[in-house]
Amino acid sequence: MLRLALKSLLAHKIRFALTAGTIVLGVTFVVAAFVTADSLRATFDEVGADINTGLDFTVRGALPFGEIANTPPIPDSFAGDIRAVEGVEAAEGGLFVDGVVPVDGSGEAASTVGPPLAGANWLEDESLSQLFLITGEWPQGASQFAIDVETFANYDYELGREYQVVTPTGPRAFTLTGTMQFGFPENAGAGVVFTVFDTATAQQVLGFEGLFNEIAVRAAPGADLDEVRDRIEAALPDTAEVITAEEAAEEFGDFFEFFIGPLQTILLTFAFVVLFVSTFIISNTFNIVLGQRVRELSLMRALGATPRQVRRSVLIESLVIGVTASAAGIGLGMLGALGLGALFDAFGASLPDGPMPLRPRTVVWAFAVGVGFTVIASLVPAVKASRVSPVAGLQESTGDDGGHLRLWRPIAGAALAVIGLVLTGRGLFADFDSVTAQLLSLGIGAAVVFVAVAVLSPLIAGPVVSALARPLPRILRTPGRLARDNAARSPRRTAATAVALTIGLALVAMVLVVGQSLKDTFSDSLSSAVRADYIISAQTISGVPKTLAEDLRAAGAGTVVGLDEDLVQIFSPVAPDRIEQTEITVTDLAAIGEVANLGVTEGSLSAIDPASALLVNGDRAEEWGLSVGDPVELVLVSGETLTATVGAVFAETQPPFWDDWLIDQSLYEQAVAADAFEQWVAVKGAGAEPESTRALLKEVLSAYPQANLEDRQQFQENAESNLNTVLALVNVFLLFALVVALVGIVNTLTLSVFERTHEIGLLRAVGMTRRQLRRVIRWEAATIALYGALVGVALGLAFGVALSVAIPDEIIDRVSVPGVQMVGLVLVAVIFGLLAAVLPSYRAGRMNVLEAIAAD
Amino acid sequence: MTSSPTQALATTARAVAASKIYGSGDTEVRALDAIDVDFEQGRFTAIMGPSGSGKSTLMHCMAGLDTVTSGQVIIGDTDLTTLSEKDLTLLRRDNVGFVFQAYNLVPTLTAIENITLPMDLAGEKGDEVWVDEVVDATGLSDRVKHRPNELSGGQQQRVAVARALAGRPQIIFADEPTGNVDSNTAGEILGFMRGAVDQMGQTIVMVTHDPVAASYADRVVFLVDGKIVDELADPTPQGIRDHMTRLGA
Repeated sequence: MLRLALKSLLAHKIRFALTAGTIVLGVTFVVAAFVTADSLRATFDEVGADINTGLDFTVRGALPFGEIANTPPIPDSFAGDIRAVEGVEAAEGGLFVDGVVPVDGSGEAASTVGPPLAGANWLEDESLSQLFLITGEWPQGASQFAIDVETFANYDYELGREYQVVTPTGPRAFTLTGTMQFGFPENAGAGVVFTVFDTATAQQVLGFEGLFNEIAVRAAPGADLDEVRDRIEAALPDTAEVITAEEAAEEFGDFFEFFIGPLQTILLTFAFVVLFVSTFIISNTFNIVLGQRVRELSLMRALGATPRQVRRSVLIESLVIGVTASAAGIGLGMLGALGLGALFDAFGASLPDGPMPLRPRTVVWAFAVGVGFTVIASLVPAVKASRVSPVAGLQESTGDDGGHLRLWRPIAGAALAVIGLVLTGRGLFADFDSVTAQLLSLGIGAAVVFVAVAVLSPLIAGPVVSALARPLPRILRTPGRLARDNAARSPRRTAATAVALTIGLALVAMVLVVGQSLKDTFSDSLSSAVRADYIISAQTISGVPKTLAEDLRAAGAGTVVGLDEDLVQIFSPVAPDRIEQTEITVTDLAAIGEVANLGVTEGSLSAIDPASALLVNGDRAEEWGLSVGDPVELVLVSGETLTATVGAVFAETQPPFWDDWLIDQSLYEQAVAADAFEQWVAVKGAGAEPESTRALLKEVLSAYPQANLEDRQQFQENAESNLNTVLALVNVFLLFALVVALVGIVNTLTLSVFERTHEIGLLRAVGMTRRQLRRVIRWEAATIALYGALVGVALGLAFGVALSVAIPDEIIDRVSVPGVQMVGLVLVAVIFGLLAAVLPSYRAGRMNVLEAIAAD
Repeated sequence: MTSSPTQALATTARAVAASKIYGSGDTEVRALDAIDVDFEQGRFTAIMGPSGSGKSTLMHCMAGLDTVTSGQVIIGDTDLTTLSEKDLTLLRRDNVGFVFQAYNLVPTLTAIENITLPMDLAGEKGDEVWVDEVVDATGLSDRVKHRPNELSGGQQQRVAVARALAGRPQIIFADEPTGNVDSNTAGEILGFMRGAVDQMGQTIVMVTHDPVAASYADRVVFLVDGKIVDELADPTPQGIRDHMTRLGA
């Protein structure tokens, strides 16, 4: 049986290659996802280990909740306290603060597409330091700085010259004394721009007087590390924590999981979409091929092969395809990982280079999914093949399987559809403990819906395809007529071929509908909720310095309101059981009404006391049972507690601008010395000409190169263009599913042409030209593609609408259908169909007429 | 030995020193060996011969389905050996009719659509009166809207002959048109073909190995080893059988 299976494969190399090709693509994706993620992990793990050699402990602020990135600073006096501990050889404090922008010799400010623009200090004790001097000298005193080698190379800098550096405490001039890097290799900093000062200068210009982010500690040689750790902990208050170098290294590596993990999951999701689509293609291919081999199979049965043996031979065939495809996919996946890097580069999100580890886990997954999906796809065809009777070959068979659609199909299809819709509905509207569980329910629901469509589609494919192709005979005469009839002649085959395209396009259409709804919601809320004429945002994570707002006011720019954001835990005696951990907006409550339309429903902005007031969104207020005058406690990441009173309840929450909870900066500054607006600065012109206001703003902003000035129009356009980039990236990945669908159409056409050899010979004999024949095949493909596309777009619209409705109103409050794009999708699908027909129609045209007629 | 009467009939198709050679050197096979043959207008000619005698090859080459290695093949005034693949296709469509042994019809098209297929491919309306006449002659007027799988084998072959006739081709080639049917049905098909020659003046060339089928023809040409070795005018089944026996087939 094994030999038979192998022979059968080798006899049809092209078919084998095409079938395997779809699986190869999926496995390639899986491997590329794992390798890319592992490469990033390896890089950061290495960097983590590297920067933590030479030290034994790191001391930092204890974090009651939230991310490590939010760790509060600690007093610099701790460093001296630690040095005094018995068994400690060295201890030095370090700073790493976002929001420092060096400006090069041509006036260009350094910028990144996400990583921080960091200010830091270098340490006297080289082995404690995470920063390494490459050229020149470390900066000394209040007027010197060093930058990282990458920034030095990418911008216009020379050692010994003076440059402007914008710090959280304002712009100042420094002399460049050296270049440095953070760990090894050169780009281990993952795109972070470093500006380095000596410790005292760093504390001053970064706004961290008397503070450190963390303290690096080395124990004396031979000291018992556990004892030293205990002694350090004893010497410090509870607000500080001690971790070992190993823990720190691990934490550093793990920290990047926040984007490596999701990145891997997203890539794997696309891989599974491709594999899922491939399953339909492979199943269909096996079905057609086995239909054509009925004679051979029945001969085997007649000669004594048991149904079990026939079934096994089919499964072995699929197993061989799966194994071969997985092996090829692993090789291609390594290349794919490189390709992914290039793709991310093209979209402006560069990932650091590093080793490309092929972990055993990756190989296991590659074979598991590659072989698994192929074998699953061949199960139904294998069972069907084993049911071939020994006399089937004696009867007339064309291989076309139209006509006999059984009763089980509508019943099973309807049952699957119900299950799929229930799962999808549950995923959309039920409450879930975790986002993962919710997405899983959605994904499985959608997959079941697709299977239901695949099962039901043959029931309607015949008449629908005929109707769709109605114009063909009129336009293309007989070739058009034949194209239409061929497409409609085996509804099961047409439906199975089209379903791959249906899935791909449904996902693309869904993404486009949700994207459009998101854009429309956003632009509408922007016009209704934001009253500011200009919006100033920062390219850095830490925002723009507060001095900017002061400078703007001093220059007479009108009403200037800064919006900052911080993570807090919210408590209230009104609802003792509740606790909410969330970002809150910190702003100027007295002026917020001039730049934003909060839609206050209870209380009044003019009646509140900014120093103690809290504004809350109506939905939250309802959940908590809060109303004006109720007390609320806000716990900051530093552990300090702010006490506030609900001053007003408002209706409009605009996540990009402000959150569900707002407090005044005067209250916030009771606990935190904030020196930057992390979110935005909103400006309402003082009634002067828009152009003169803009000129005024620009002049003030020239001292703040990290600040980005946009009017409402530009702001909206930029937000939309960012969203478009994300949508484009998603669609590029979904394109792979469409490529698999294309291969599916090629497969079916190739097999159909083979099966209709005699008929094609006849047509050619009675005078059909090659051109006409190619036209028949081309438009058959286009018709199948059109059918698949229309079902897909319809399904995608339904999914998109459901998703848009399910997503909270703050993010999407309407359903917008991008009609032109939907029509475009259908056209693209038809073009895909025409492309898919190129090879099969060429082969059909080259067929020898005499041999074709003689074929049986 | 009888030879055909040399009447002054116009020639519709002829082969001049036509050879078809497969392979070369030791493995060379001469399927056609410098054959000269004429097919006269308005006559029904049968080509007979044992398996491998080259009778099908001769028909394929005459019909523009295959090409000769050397010599000429002429239909009407056209030398087929000078034509491109495309022109050969157009010649088949416009000037030649075909009836094959089986699978003569496109399964997705109805009987009438199959009959008008060559005209439709040419984008021509055709002569509707003539098509109606041909359909009447098949005796299938009430079944023309049926698809091939709803017709009997004999009916399918009559539709195939009607298709060949509908375009009024210069010549019709039939390759064992009764090879797949029982003798009653064969008689029905051959009678229809005979009628097409007698009443419509159609020229038909038929390859067959059945003496009864060949007896419907005006003339039988015998092929052995790629050469014409004999012919017989106004044949009877018994006369043909005697000839075959003498030729050792």
